[in-house]
Amino acid sequence: MSQHKTITVALAGNPNAGKSSLFNALTGAHQRVGNFPGVTIEKHEGYLDYKNYRITVVDLPGTYSLTPYSPEEIVTRRFIIDEKPNVVVNVVEGTNLERNLMLTVQLMEMEVDLLVALNMMDEVEQQGISIDLDQLEQLFGSHIVPISARNHKGLDDLLDHIVSVSEGRIEIRKNKVSFSAEVEKAIDKIVGMLCHEPALDKAANHRWMAIKLLENDREVYTQVQKYPVWVKIELALQEAISECGMLHSTDPEALITEDRHAFVRGAMQECVRKPKTTRASASDYIDMVVLNRVLGLPVFFLVVWAIFQLTFTLGKPLMEALAYSFGLLSETVAPHLPAGMVRSIFVDGVISGVGSVVVFLPNIVLLFMGLSFLEASGYMARAAFVIDKVMHRFGLHGKSFIPMITGFGCSIPAIMATRTLKSRSDRLATIMTIPFMSCGAKLPVYVLLAGAFFPPAMAANVMFGIYLLGIAVGLWTAWLLKSTVLKSDSEPFVMELPPYRWPTLTSVVFQARMKAVMYLKKAGTLILGAVILIWVASNFPRSSALDAELATETARIEASAVALELKAEQRQKLEARIDAGQLEYSIAGRSGKLLEPLIRPLGFDWRIGIALVTGLAAKEVVVSTLGTIFSIGHAAGETSLSEILRSEPGFSKATALSLMVFVLLYIPCVAAVGVMKKEVGTWKPVLFYSAYVMLVAWIASFITYHLALLWM
Amino acid sequence: MKLSELKAGDRAQVSSVAAEPAVRRRLMDLGLVRGTELELLRFAPLGDPIEISCNGLLLTMRRNEADGITVHKLASAEGRQHGWQGLRKRHRFGRRA
Repeated sequence: MSQHKTITVALAGNPNAGKSSLFNALTGAHQRVGNFPGVTIEKHEGYLDYKNYRITVVDLPGTYSLTPYSPEEIVTRRFIIDEKPNVVVNVVEGTNLERNLMLTVQLMEMEVDLLVALNMMDEVEQQGISIDLDQLEQLFGSHIVPISARNHKGLDDLLDHIVSVSEGRIEIRKNKVSFSAEVEKAIDKIVGMLCHEPALDKAANHRWMAIKLLENDREVYTQVQKYPVWVKIELALQEAISECGMLHSTDPEALITEDRHAFVRGAMQECVRKPKTTRASASDYIDMVVLNRVLGLPVFFLVVWAIFQLTFTLGKPLMEALAYSFGLLSETVAPHLPAGMVRSIFVDGVISGVGSVVVFLPNIVLLFMGLSFLEASGYMARAAFVIDKVMHRFGLHGKSFIPMITGFGCSIPAIMATRTLKSRSDRLATIMTIPFMSCGAKLPVYVLLAGAFFPPAMAANVMFGIYLLGIAVGLWTAWLLKSTVLKSDSEPFVMELPPYRWPTLTSVVFQARMKAVMYLKKAGTLILGAVILIWVASNFPRSSALDAELATETARIEASAVALELKAEQRQKLEARIDAGQLEYSIAGRSGKLLEPLIRPLGFDWRIGIALVTGLAAKEVVVSTLGTIFSIGHAAGETSLSEILRSEPGFSKATALSLMVFVLLYIPCVAAVGVMKKEVGTWKPVLFYSAYVMLVAWIASFITYHLALLWM
Repeated sequence: MKLSELKAGDRAQVSSVAAEPAVRRRLMDLGLVRGTELELLRFAPLGDPIEISCNGLLLTMRRNEADGITVHKLASAEGRQHGWQGLRKRHRFGRRA
């Protein structure tokens, strides 16, 4: 193994060119997913052993260009410049050469060791397109290897070429695209100036830098601005701008792009023959229905509904099965552990903590299978097209819609689903709206409270109102964020609608598997830690007085001469009382009391405070905590929790409404916060957001409580 | 005229592209440079964004982005009867008046 020579290969190409298919076909199981340093753009890295080489493959994000406008483009550029991969493989979509070759031209300008992988050759043949590869190689100066990543065709040929290029056995001629005379003149002038700057790296590609300067590239600007030669360059740039304006009535940037297009069009005319088609393709027919002015929206809602059903209806039995098996596990393990602390840590802490994370797995897998199907089939872009106007009004993107809808099921997969959004600011804004989409775990709280304090017909209206309030606050938050802190960079809606394709099963399963592993590994550790922390907070410190009381009382009950059933009932009553006492004594209980002055204006006492603290573990816990605390003095099973709550003097209709609003709006469960941190990248915005939601929740509950007191 | 002022089915040629730098660059990367011919295919169900076809690609953009693209009209939707545009014509319900 040690004789292996290593080669690093970067895959670059347009979005949808099939880079990821090629990457999967090449590296198979040897993959790692990470983020590029500093940005949350997925970085796929993998390796394969071929002949005597270990080839590391890096799948760069899909880009149309190499400008520094989007993080994807910056990442791609920096990787090629700084990491200097041995070979850059430009994956090119054979059915859409013209647009794809625009990037090839820009890669040529960087003078890297370039290899072109002409992908989707099966479709090219099917459509009767003929491509003169030899002529194309002549024009572009690098070898072109026809492949079909989906059918694993031409891969060995590609690998042979990769090896040959890295060994220097294939000469990359590094052709230059020549631009209009004025641009070339300016390039020459600037290159001359750059060469005379001793401080600048001699190895750097001066022609590329000159082109980028003419294209107003701010990264290269700041790089060159440090040097004295900048004064002269700035003059030369001014001159170029005025000359292009005079002779071509445009600016150098546009002229350069036009020249690149002209070069590519010329190459296309020379090398590519397409059969004349006048017939509409299947894609056009589908679009006539799917993007229709009348049918477009219904189709969209149908698809969203189907995804939601797939995730939560199909996922529910699986989720319950998992929850059941975790329950079974704790039942089997519990008797083998010493009673008391150790058992509690393992059963109530570790197993239920891990369980609370793992039960979401079916939902996540199903959602991502659905989403990657939509993405790969080409519908996702169309869905965004159909709904964008509504979303845009609140500063969001058309694609924000699907994560938001998913949020009604569970925030965790929804937050992860925002990865389909490319712009960071759109992603952040969408992530921050999701917790307001009332998730399934909050439903038991509403059911309990609305059911207890309102007649059945009214209860449904109340719950519907709560959901609407969540949506309103979510959209308002998005609008607020986008018009303040996230104002600067919004993703333009300029995008391509890819032709419809049948996604392959392997790619759909692969995507889902990656997401599942990522969720379990990364979020799992953090979430587990937090869940255990909350367990500790609600169990420690323990009151020894209560422990002693439990022991003596139990002994007394056991010793008393009453029927066995009566004993069991008495014991149950006692344990409930002691549990509630212990919870009150614990950190969670004390913070509940500590919080009381803060939440008093919302109509909450310290007992509700405890429920809110423990509810951070998961929102359903609010119900079980209320059950534990409010049951004091009532025998278990004697009366239902809703009856108990109704009979509480401190618990009015207004309190119930206020509590529902607070549960809807306050910090989502730790699992969601953990995933949020993972997707956002840093703690600062997450903490800031947490403070914001607490404030919003407080104000909204305050208003609700006092309005309810007035009117009810 | 502006690209956003075309009707569904109109064909036109780009004369200039103006937008903020990032958007302009994206538009140009996707092939919208001086001289490119395009067809406005349709408006989204809610009237915004729009979909165009150029160089064999289907592109979408919002109206305010299309405002920055000046074009001159080559042919109106009514002018042509052949090909799949003809087919589109028979299915009139999908288009904006």
